[in-house]
Amino acid sequence: MSKIACFVEKYNLSGVREEKGLQNFKFTAEKLGHEFDFLFREAISEIPKYDAVFIRATTDPLYTAYVVSKTAWELGLKVVDDPESIRICGNKIHLYALFKKYDVPHIPTIFLNKDELHHKRLLDIFDVFGKPVVVKAPYTSFSRYVEKVACETSFREVAKRFFRKSDVLAVQKFMPTAFDWRVGVLNNEVLYVCKYMIPKGRWKHGAKLRGKPTFIWGRTVTMKRENAPAELKEVALKACKVVGKGLYGVDVKEFNGNYVVVEVNDNPSIYAGYEDLRDKDLYGKIIEYLAN
Amino acid sequence: MLVVSNIDLTCDLPIMKPSTFLESTIKGFTLNINNDYRYLKTGYYVSLHAEILGNFVIPTSENMIDANRNPILLLRASKAGIPTMPYLVTDSVKKIVTEFSFPVVVFAVNPFVYDGFKIAKNKSALYKAMKSSGMNYKFTVCAQPLRGEMVSFKSVFGKCELEEKVRRISEEVYDLFGIPICKLHVQRVERRAYLCGLQPLKKEELSPSDLKMISEEIRLISKQGDPFSV
Repeated sequence: MSKIACFVEKYNLSGVREEKGLQNFKFTAEKLGHEFDFLFREAISEIPKYDAVFIRATTDPLYTAYVVSKTAWELGLKVVDDPESIRICGNKIHLYALFKKYDVPHIPTIFLNKDELHHKRLLDIFDVFGKPVVVKAPYTSFSRYVEKVACETSFREVAKRFFRKSDVLAVQKFMPTAFDWRVGVLNNEVLYVCKYMIPKGRWKHGAKLRGKPTFIWGRTVTMKRENAPAELKEVALKACKVVGKGLYGVDVKEFNGNYVVVEVNDNPSIYAGYEDLRDKDLYGKIIEYLAN
Repeated sequence: MLVVSNIDLTCDLPIMKPSTFLESTIKGFTLNINNDYRYLKTGYYVSLHAEILGNFVIPTSENMIDANRNPILLLRASKAGIPTMPYLVTDSVKKIVTEFSFPVVVFAVNPFVYDGFKIAKNKSALYKAMKSSGMNYKFTVCAQPLRGEMVSFKSVFGKCELEEKVRRISEEVYDLFGIPICKLHVQRVERRAYLCGLQPLKKEELSPSDLKMISEEIRLISKQGDPFSV
């Protein structure tokens, strides 16, 4: 029997599907004979009491979740997401540099340093990728801090905003598709496959309504993992191999018959009725991975 | 040895600017000299780029993140035998008051605040410190009991001009994390010293004698050669 701590923040319990997903983990763990406690930030000092830590709060090297992950790792506990996965997936520059190094098919990407935000460099980028291009902050998550720009003025405006926090940004070719594939992977094995549909008239899964703070999300269409295209799964697994052996959600675009990786995310969303719809065994597989 | 620096140094070795290095594919032992080794800043990307190229680099990108996250700094330091105080990562005043008696030292653990610490001598001061360091309780803080006096100093390649017990901590922190230039916060308690925190330096804080010392250290390291050469 293992004692598993699931690190969550209050916002993880604000959505019905997310909370139901978390309860499914608890139910599955207890059914398998393990102890499963939700651990909030007030109880971080209790980490040494556990055998494994499962992080469900948003991860970033600058957030509390990294402190939790690294603490558990240093104490020799099993941890998902491990600190190395957070460091790589939490910084898209790191991720794309590894994709380039290990030939993972990915969206054409250029890195832009703070010093390079000048007319000639921007013209070069538009020459290579055409217009529009996508400007991505390294710390992007949940479709935030990714913006499409079609002229130098808006490029400069977005880049200056993102450069406040990071000294390097990613600029990518704009590849519009009706959906992004999402492949859930654990320890080099595909757990689930779904399509994150792009809302009508938008270009990414999550989009802000004009003039309003609320986000709208596209539908999630799930399929059984064995029915997903083999090539898609192959590309997703190849991308995960350069990151680690943890739990990942790989976003892949199917463009002109080719599969290209958008990004590998650690700490992927697992919402009841969405990602788990066709492959309910994902809960058991994740719990067993944490417990063994 | 490849020296990448955002600081104007006086040594006679060739020094590359970070922006030039980030565009290059040069292989070899890389010494990354920067006044600011925070995550997402140019110094971080220099080490990351060196690692992607397969270069041995000082400091590593992982150590930069860990050294600048107060609880991780303390955890790894105590594991390595460097004296530290007990600490608590929390956003709860009640929890700190239960665990420690006043005064307490509060370090920020959030993406925005890096400068120093706050000392709280009573509950209302602690609330105030938590509010500012935790950015209105949005983030956690790292609290430690204050049992002596705090001393803050510049550490250059682990060297500092203080007494032996503090000097030893400075050297050990450099041996563990390899951060060439930083400010350290240490607590002096009677005959002992305890590591409390680390923060980046501003360029203006580096005096001409610091620059001379950095240049001298680089010269010494270059004489030792590539640590991975056979």
